[in-house]
Amino acid sequence: MPKALAMPASADIRVHITDQCALFARPSDDFRADILVAAGDKVAQGAPVLRSRRHPDLTLVAPVAGEVAAADLGPGKRLSHILFFHEAKAGRHEHDVSAARAENDPVAVRALLLSAGMWPLFRSRPFGRVPLPAEQPAAIFVMALDTRPDAPLPQLALAGRLDAFLRGCQALASLTNGPVYVCHDGAADLDDLDVGNDRIRLTRIGPFHPHGLAGLQIAARFPAAPGRPVWDVHAEDVVGLGSFLETGLVPETRLVSVSGGALREHRLVRCQPGADLRALTFDIVKPGPHRLLSGSSLDGVEGRWLGPWRRQVAAIAGTGTERSPHWFSAALRRSSRPLPIIPTAALDHAFGGILPAALLVRALAANDSETAMRLGALSLVEEDVALADYITAAAPHLTAMLRAMLDRIAAEEIA
Amino acid sequence: MTRGIWDRETVALLLLAAAMPLAVTWLLATGMQGALRLVFVLIAAGLWHLAFMLARAQPPSFAGALTAFAVAVLAPAELGLLPMLIGISFGVVAGELAFGGWGRNVVNPATVAIAFLGFGFPAAPWPVLPIQLGWAAIAMAAIGMLVGVMAWRIAVSATAVLVIAWYGGMLAMPFLTAAAVVLVLLVCDPVTSAATDLGRWLNGLLYAALVMVFASGWQGAAAVQVAISAALLTSLAAPLLDEIAMRRWLARRKHLG
Repeated sequence: MPKALAMPASADIRVHITDQCALFARPSDDFRADILVAAGDKVAQGAPVLRSRRHPDLTLVAPVAGEVAAADLGPGKRLSHILFFHEAKAGRHEHDVSAARAENDPVAVRALLLSAGMWPLFRSRPFGRVPLPAEQPAAIFVMALDTRPDAPLPQLALAGRLDAFLRGCQALASLTNGPVYVCHDGAADLDDLDVGNDRIRLTRIGPFHPHGLAGLQIAARFPAAPGRPVWDVHAEDVVGLGSFLETGLVPETRLVSVSGGALREHRLVRCQPGADLRALTFDIVKPGPHRLLSGSSLDGVEGRWLGPWRRQVAAIAGTGTERSPHWFSAALRRSSRPLPIIPTAALDHAFGGILPAALLVRALAANDSETAMRLGALSLVEEDVALADYITAAAPHLTAMLRAMLDRIAAEEIA
Repeated sequence: MTRGIWDRETVALLLLAAAMPLAVTWLLATGMQGALRLVFVLIAAGLWHLAFMLARAQPPSFAGALTAFAVAVLAPAELGLLPMLIGISFGVVAGELAFGGWGRNVVNPATVAIAFLGFGFPAAPWPVLPIQLGWAAIAMAAIGMLVGVMAWRIAVSATAVLVIAWYGGMLAMPFLTAAAVVLVLLVCDPVTSAATDLGRWLNGLLYAALVMVFASGWQGAAAVQVAISAALLTSLAAPLLDEIAMRRWLARRKHLG
């Protein structure tokens, strides 16, 4: 057994802006956009580059200072990706925050976050998407802990920046009429923080996975439902939000851990959103084939760029295509899908004792959306069932079954 | 993405491993006769698994061996080959394979087979379990709970009630032994028992209560017969217990909106 690699000490975090990075969307996101720049243009970091066609208020900004290398829209102006080359001398774009700062006006804050590309830092549940521009969340969850394996500690991102964090929390409180839960495990010195707003609730939760998943905390404390959206946002992004409202500069980097069995060492870096995963790993990867996941080894998806909301890069040894089994066993396996899932203590632990695991998994596998909704599935997204998926080796994946169910519920909501 | 190990066959193998102390104790107590009986049941059940694999592409499961072991231990003795074969076939096919194999069944196939044999051939005597099987059942429960394939809530709640009843003189020792063996072999089966926390407590309590009711009120019933009947009714009630647990869970969350 290879020895588990330890994460380096916090002093070793270096800023690593990769030469290439990208803003991208999957075809299933169906993000239709107008491109505000052309290939070859020089853009400052934080300058608007994309505007949503469905919601013209919503703008995406350049993640890095540099040159637009390629801008690729698919059919129907759906965003495929915009590729950037890093050039530090292109500078940073400064947004005008005076209106939002002067009166702390919720409307101005909202408009500013939308126009400065800060909006996609939020994730709205049910359905786990970027919130609509006009959406009024019933509650906001700030996750100041991350219990996923090898996740970067949020207190490293918070250290010494509590004033910006507080400013960000106040801005969040202005976006909602409901509570703002700040979930932490006691490690980030948030226990005796004076927030000065009774809607901001400091919530101490257990330090073990999966308790640090936003979805399970939302299901336990403030279940999301159609017409009652609940947002979650990472504490580091709240710090970025706070400093943005002060300076008008969109945060340049996020703290990302690079780990996995295919690496010689693990490292923590501060890199830009949409960073190139290959550039983050090429000098520490072991010989042999490997796959790069944007996200942890539990919930990551294979890709070239660091995805939205992701703070981990996992390098997994192997090609991912297993040797095809004998036709007979393959036929047996395929014919019995979805494979039965036996309720064990392991499955109960995969939902942290917060949700009735066996009933929920059964409802997911049986595609019984009514029961799944009653059992809290609307508060969950893929990452929240990733541990159960990993533990039970479910086929088809529980994450895929949950996503399909959420998409169908969303379609029924619209109809 | 990497995959974990807790699929169906891992659970079945761990259950089999947990049953080893019980199997060894039983084989030591029954000798050659017991071994032949076990082999016969294993072959009969295995043939049905093979038939369903070839005809319906259902992958066979190691859980079939556990079913066979439970039938060999608990089914009425001196039955003759043909009745035994009919009973095993009914239990394995109608109790498990017809539903799509282990993991999708609603009642434990061994419970069905044994109940079928017991009530179908009432003249056949029920086996008398040697007392050391009760101790071996404790070992099986310990292993099963430690690796997490048996629900400790079921085992603890049922054991607590049964032991208190025995201590208070309401349950004779043969009944306690039979109830313990049936508890670990059939009632704690993760597939057909309740799957929620509250449901599991209720599941164990219901089983123990039924054992006590039958033991005290059913004139002339053998110890194993009492335990099997209680196990059958309990597994039929398991979905109801889960439903009760879910209702209570939802009611407690009402204030969350």
